[in-house]
Amino acid sequence: MSQLLQAAAYGVVQGGLLGLVAVGFSLVWGVMNVINLSHGALAVTGAYLAWLLNLHFGLDPFLALPVVAIALFLFGYALQRGLINLVINAPIFLTLLLTFGLGLVILNSLQLLFNADDRTIETSYASQSLALGTVNVPYGRLAACGLALAITVGLAAVMTRTRLGHSISATGMDRGAARLMGIRARHVYAITFGISAALAGVAGTMIATVGSFNPTTTPGQLTLDAFVISVLGGLGNMYGALVGGLVLGIAESVGGLVLTGTWVNAIAMAVLILTLIVRPSGLIGKAQYSGRVEV
Amino acid sequence: MLEIEKLNAGYGRVQVLWDVDLAVEAKQIVALVGANGAGKTTLLRAISGMIAVRSGGVKFRDRDIAGASIESIVDLGIAHVPEGRRLFSGLTVRENLVLGGWRRNNRDLSRVVALFPVLGQRLNQVASTLSGGEQQMCAIARGLMSEPSLLLIDELSLGLAPIMVDEIVGRLPEIAASGTAVLLVEQDIDTALTVSETAYVLETGRITRSGSSRELLADATIQAAYLGLESQ
Ligand SMILES: Nc1ncnc2c1ncn2[C@@H]1O[C@H](COP(=O)(O)OP(=O)(O)OP(=O)(O)O)[C@@H](O)[C@H]1O
Ligand SMILES: [Mg+2]
Repeated sequence: MSQLLQAAAYGVVQGGLLGLVAVGFSLVWGVMNVINLSHGALAVTGAYLAWLLNLHFGLDPFLALPVVAIALFLFGYALQRGLINLVINAPIFLTLLLTFGLGLVILNSLQLLFNADDRTIETSYASQSLALGTVNVPYGRLAACGLALAITVGLAAVMTRTRLGHSISATGMDRGAARLMGIRARHVYAITFGISAALAGVAGTMIATVGSFNPTTTPGQLTLDAFVISVLGGLGNMYGALVGGLVLGIAESVGGLVLTGTWVNAIAMAVLILTLIVRPSGLIGKAQYSGRVEV
Repeated sequence: MLEIEKLNAGYGRVQVLWDVDLAVEAKQIVALVGANGAGKTTLLRAISGMIAVRSGGVKFRDRDIAGASIESIVDLGIAHVPEGRRLFSGLTVRENLVLGGWRRNNRDLSRVVALFPVLGQRLNQVASTLSGGEQQMCAIARGLMSEPSLLLIDELSLGLAPIMVDEIVGRLPEIAASGTAVLLVEQDIDTALTVSETAYVLETGRITRSGSSRELLADATIQAAYLGLESQ
């Protein structure tokens, strides 16, 4: 029983983190209909940046977050403006190919720069845990999960309450109509991709703090997780990504008690398929992204 | 205010508009009528920048806007109420209207609510649940939120009951008098020619008749043109 509780607690904190990995991916997919296969690579780029800042300046990863977020935002904005916008009207196959290639270029560059070793950001609190009866939750994971929650709530508020958020959702719903309101769609797309990249970088930094990462297997795993969670939660829905992350985190963690390591992806897929059978529009459901008319 | 000269435009290799001349003066209501497929929607799209202009001039308040982007044309003061309305269907009426004023950061709904009081009672209703007439009001109101000096309306009467059409069309003179000229594309030729001062008849991409709406309304050949038959 206590083993099950421990697994569930781990699943919750891991799930929050997975939700953070997915929320930006889901945003880009929902708003511009681009499945960004370089999302995991962007997360790992953020992880390396935080790792470098820690290594050379002793900066705590939580304090490095603003730097990582701004750097990744600018990188993401430039990528969308200079590259992905060029093929935004092309069939989805082309954007898949482009972002897949982009991910490869990024992770090969990272591998050249830093080799393929597993890295982790060492902190004093990494080994300390909060004890709740028989259940132990590491402080780092707890903080990462709390941050994921705060960012998700914050992002949802930005989307529903601010001028910028309105322009992003309007462009996602009907780009042509949004442009007729004077909303600069290309700029909005670039901002959206920048936000997504910044969120990926933050998630990557947290992963590097509570666990480890490398340029070969981590990016693909994160992209796959983000994909599963986005479909699970419902596209373009901020809270959907969080709920999807929690479901996946708990399922993998509890399922891991009975199945061995390599089975986690199978668990993820099983959860995905089951959800899609019961609720084809995802757990929270995609509400407004539909009438995409090309202009 | 809007002067179009020898405009040629179309989609890809297909040319739809041929040497179109058209003018709209400030505070005027101008009707553009023609049969299905004549190119009325295409002409509005060329004005608002939704499609490229192949050749010819589009001048708005003495600025050449041919080839300008949709967004910058909105900035200059042209609002386009597109065919099919294209409301943000999952959002409320209020959210739709606020998006209409997005560019100028205009959140003041008083002008459009005064114009269409029923919208005032529907502000928190989701746009897709409005009646067809209310949706058209919402679309026009959304266009007005950008405080344009020219409003392009495509197929105002599409799918609406005649009484609803009369109600909405009855607001157009007020809109024009308050400083927003209207270029109205309409299938319902009687309605269009009654409310407008000037009108143009578009036939397979060419302007074949133009002039005072009253005279055109009295002219029997216009009915034929509207039906797409050969006119003398
Ligand atoms: N997106 C498009 N791509 C290619 N051709 C188009 C497109 N839209 C319209 N056309 C063609 O352009 C011509 C003019 O169409 P348009 O929609 O401008 O006519 P209309 O006068 O608005 O007709 P209606 O009264 O039916 O709305 C038609 O032959 C049509 O097939
Ligand atoms: Mg039309």
